[in-house]
Amino acid sequence: MAIKASAVLERLVEGVMSLVEIPINALERLMGRKRVPYLFLAPNLVLFGIFTFLPIAISVGYAVTGGTNLFVTDRPFVGLDNFRQLLSCQDYSRPGTCQESLFWTAIWNTFWFVGFNVVATLLVALVTALILNRAMVGRGFFRAMFFYPVLLSPVVIGLIWKWFLDRNGLLNAFFEMMGVPPHVFLLEVGWARFFVVLVSVWFHMGFYTLILLAGLQAIPKDLYEAAAIDAASRRRTLFAITLPLLGPNLLVVLILLMIRSVQIFDEAWVLTNGGGPGTANSFIVQYIYQMAFGSDLRLLGLASAASVLMGVVLLALTLVQLRLARKTEEI
Amino acid sequence: MGELKLSSLNKAFGAVHVLHDIDLSVKDGEFVVFVGPSGCGKSTLLRIIAGLEDVTSGRIEIGGRDVGQLSPAERKIAMVFQSYALYPHMSVRKNLAFGLENLKFKRSEIDARIAEAARMLAIEPYLDRKPRQLSGGQRQRVAIGRAIVREPDIFLFDEPLSNLDAALRVQTRAEITRLHQQIKTTMIYVTHDQVEAMTMADKIVILRAGRVEQVGSPLELFDYPRNLFVAGFLGSPRMNIVRASIAGIGPEGASIDLGHGAVLPCDVDPAAVRPGQRVLAGIRPAHFQRVEEGGVPFVVQYYESLGTETYVYGALAETQEPIIVHETGHFAPPSGTRLAIAPMPGRLHVFDPDSELAIARRDAGQRRGAVHGN
Repeated sequence: MAIKASAVLERLVEGVMSLVEIPINALERLMGRKRVPYLFLAPNLVLFGIFTFLPIAISVGYAVTGGTNLFVTDRPFVGLDNFRQLLSCQDYSRPGTCQESLFWTAIWNTFWFVGFNVVATLLVALVTALILNRAMVGRGFFRAMFFYPVLLSPVVIGLIWKWFLDRNGLLNAFFEMMGVPPHVFLLEVGWARFFVVLVSVWFHMGFYTLILLAGLQAIPKDLYEAAAIDAASRRRTLFAITLPLLGPNLLVVLILLMIRSVQIFDEAWVLTNGGGPGTANSFIVQYIYQMAFGSDLRLLGLASAASVLMGVVLLALTLVQLRLARKTEEI
Repeated sequence: MGELKLSSLNKAFGAVHVLHDIDLSVKDGEFVVFVGPSGCGKSTLLRIIAGLEDVTSGRIEIGGRDVGQLSPAERKIAMVFQSYALYPHMSVRKNLAFGLENLKFKRSEIDARIAEAARMLAIEPYLDRKPRQLSGGQRQRVAIGRAIVREPDIFLFDEPLSNLDAALRVQTRAEITRLHQQIKTTMIYVTHDQVEAMTMADKIVILRAGRVEQVGSPLELFDYPRNLFVAGFLGSPRMNIVRASIAGIGPEGASIDLGHGAVLPCDVDPAAVRPGQRVLAGIRPAHFQRVEEGGVPFVVQYYESLGTETYVYGALAETQEPIIVHETGHFAPPSGTRLAIAPMPGRLHVFDPDSELAIARRDAGQRRGAVHGN
């Protein structure tokens, strides 16, 4: 019965293919063999153009125009004025001395966030992957559990943790039960920043753990057996065998993490009620959002200029990542 | 030093019993080959000796000390893996040095040992290359080099030639044999290739389904297989097996009836058989000869000429049992040719069809070496 069904299916596919062959042959005669592939790429290229390339171009258009009009064509050309406004500063390390102090506050906040977040996520993901890589009971369960937050929406993540950390949140309820005085974590700069990083680590580590776990499992088992015969201690095996061989994966994770960290916005925005306390958790994407849509002013030019600057940084990081990925393939 | 003694070794993976009561003694300096079909447990046995697998029960001694609880590193063994298992991110030199560094050897001693091993294996030009920059044969040498620098009591080889092409395999086979003669260290070598076993071993251990079928020198096993399995496993083409019966027992010993009235003397112990007993006769292709009279009629189907030798494929005329006959030199019998063939004197093996064991020979007492197994 099964054989019959597959034979029928085969016949069907053959039939469809022979039907397709006629117009394809006609097209090849009409356009030339080499040009036919582009015809098939065309629908995707059009969509990609409308939703990716066109917005980039429009964004650059906004960045070099001023005013509050929505349509690029209605906006006066101002050249690099928006960029000048963003970058003019007496002392970059003190945002207060900059013309756009909020922008520079956001840059420094992002800078510190990226630093802490990258290191913390990388370490947590690596340790988790190393543990999950061992033959242990419930490995599948833990793997799924660590990956689960990745599936959630950033807003949901922000809300869950807010309920947990709020003045009347779960954590304080717990403290109260233990007789510890309650703490308003999200209103203290240090704690708020700490929890933004913590939430981000919790949110994303599952994804990176998965990449590292795949890398660990690609290391041939017999290398570990050879190392055991070669009298390598656990520590030495980790540092001399595992980590060097995981190197390419670690690099990919590092770059991806940096790119994603620079883009921090939604979960932090929800968690900290818009970057609070004050501007302690105000990041670049938040700055762009606030300039463009945060008030009736609609400073689209400034927002777009900031976007373009951020885009350049991300592009550089992406190029590095692509290069590394290619290098990894060569090994 | 490099003596190895396994006593009542058992290994089970869960409910699957893969090794049954293995007993084996290996003398210092011996080259022992574990051979058997895939899944017979030979690699598992090697890994147990290495300490990469633990035993379910039984005892392992190396150089007289019980190593059952020792880590691989403490057993003074070195292993060459089928996949070579070279550290891909380290240079050849670093691959060779890694184990010695872990054992806290002095730098000068490490360098000296690497230089010596590199010279012995002719890998000096590649010392600073990464494994991926080497050919399969070169990687193989590096893997052997990594074992040599350790100066172990026992070398363990796990099918080390299976990733090499045929020509390189023959060459490396000879090199490993030469290496053994040079350093005279105990070597245990796992293969499924009976030619490797025959050509390299001082002692062959034939395994099937987790049991030792027979232990002995290559020629002992070839000449005196203990059962049908060993008889069929060693030798290529395989030994011919035909149904036969004991024709009679006279003053000169027993005779065997191969059918068609071909009654030939055979050297089974007359006390071990009775007239009329049904048996299986085993004759290797090379141990048939063409005879003028008294042979068994054989009908040629086709032949393969290899130049120096010819394999003639056909069947016994009466029973249609397939037979391969080996002839030296050129021989081109047309299909359908009838030949009379007979086993060479003393080259007929007789097996019990039920137990598949060889029936005792009259010269059994003259045989050297031990016969193990169930």
